[in-house]
Amino acid sequence: MVTELNESNFDSFVDENSLAIIDCWAPWCGPCRRMGPIIEELAEDLKGRAGVAKLNTDENQGIAVRFNINAIPTILVFRDSVLVDTLVGLRPKEDLLAALGFR
Amino acid sequence: MEADVLVIGCGPAGLQAAIHASRKKASVLVAGKAASSGAYGARIENYLGVPSRPGEEILADGRAQAESFGARFLDMNVMSASALDGRFVFGMEDGSEVSAKAVVLATGIARRLLGIPGEKALTGKGVSYCAVCDCNFYKGRRVAVVGNDSEAAASARLMTSYASETHWVRWEDAADEGLASKALEAGAVPHAGRPKAIEGDGKVERLVLEDGAEIQVDGVFIELGARSSADLAMDLGIMPEIDDTVKAGQDCSTEVPGVFACGDVTGRPWQVAKAVGQGCVAGMSAADFARRLE
Repeated sequence: MVTELNESNFDSFVDENSLAIIDCWAPWCGPCRRMGPIIEELAEDLKGRAGVAKLNTDENQGIAVRFNINAIPTILVFRDSVLVDTLVGLRPKEDLLAALGFR
Repeated sequence: MEADVLVIGCGPAGLQAAIHASRKKASVLVAGKAASSGAYGARIENYLGVPSRPGEEILADGRAQAESFGARFLDMNVMSASALDGRFVFGMEDGSEVSAKAVVLATGIARRLLGIPGEKALTGKGVSYCAVCDCNFYKGRRVAVVGNDSEAAASARLMTSYASETHWVRWEDAADEGLASKALEAGAVPHAGRPKAIEGDGKVERLVLEDGAEIQVDGVFIELGARSSADLAMDLGIMPEIDDTVKAGQDCSTEVPGVFACGDVTGRPWQVAKAVGQGCVAGMSAADFARRLE
């Protein structure tokens, strides 16, 4: 299962994973629901190499504002606690792996 | 309104499905608008027995043929779909409901992109393709909704509840009149004209129209055409492929019993001949499915 983040554990998750990949979503967003299973697979593939988590932007609007999220699904990529990439929109796992530098 | 089979889409696949389902004595309703079919504006030159003919004419004849077997055309798009107690229920553009025992998805593949400068670079930086998904991020901000159809009207109306200013940019009146008036009554500001560019430094700052008019906004919502095949499929419980296509078996069945798919929505090749072949199979399968429920 992919970790669900909120205001209280977001920062510690980012700090504890040298590579943190966070899928920002909301329940009524169709493309986000399609991204869900892809993120689950990604988490499985990257076990031990990256921390993969989900953030419900509706319940955590402060974090969405902090990272200028304007559209979902959006994937935030942190390396050593620094935001290095923001990937917007539904995309296949292969594209995500490539964007994350895994091929 | 009730029917054995609702066909969504009236391009070559939908029309052939309507013909074959009607011939099997199913009561058939057809949703959608011919002009949104990819075949409508095309000249068809590689369809058996048709050396060269405008798609528009083929579709008009196909519709007449389907009507002669009893299919009824609603001339309206589907706005929402759900599966309820073994029936499928659809919300239509004019607010009415249609219920059916079986569904044929013949929606084609929607064109989502406007294809204007700035659109790609500012996606996720103010450019959005889903008002329902992203409305929350625009509380108290200024937005433009771009699109002619009822989906755009519904999105413009939705955005008035979140944004401080909602502009609705359209170049044709293709939306249901009732939905369009609701959007305007809710405060959406209408603009007649085609968008030319989306501009801004790292984020959306303005939408420029072809006549040179500039609308200062923080967000541009692009809502072209009818509700997408992927969204409708999800409403019905089908998980679409990453490219928005829907997997269909040899009998055109999908992962949800009673829902059949044919034509471009099932993937390439995007050809009239393939659409018609699958439409035949999907129409017959849907009629058989509906009859088994009796």
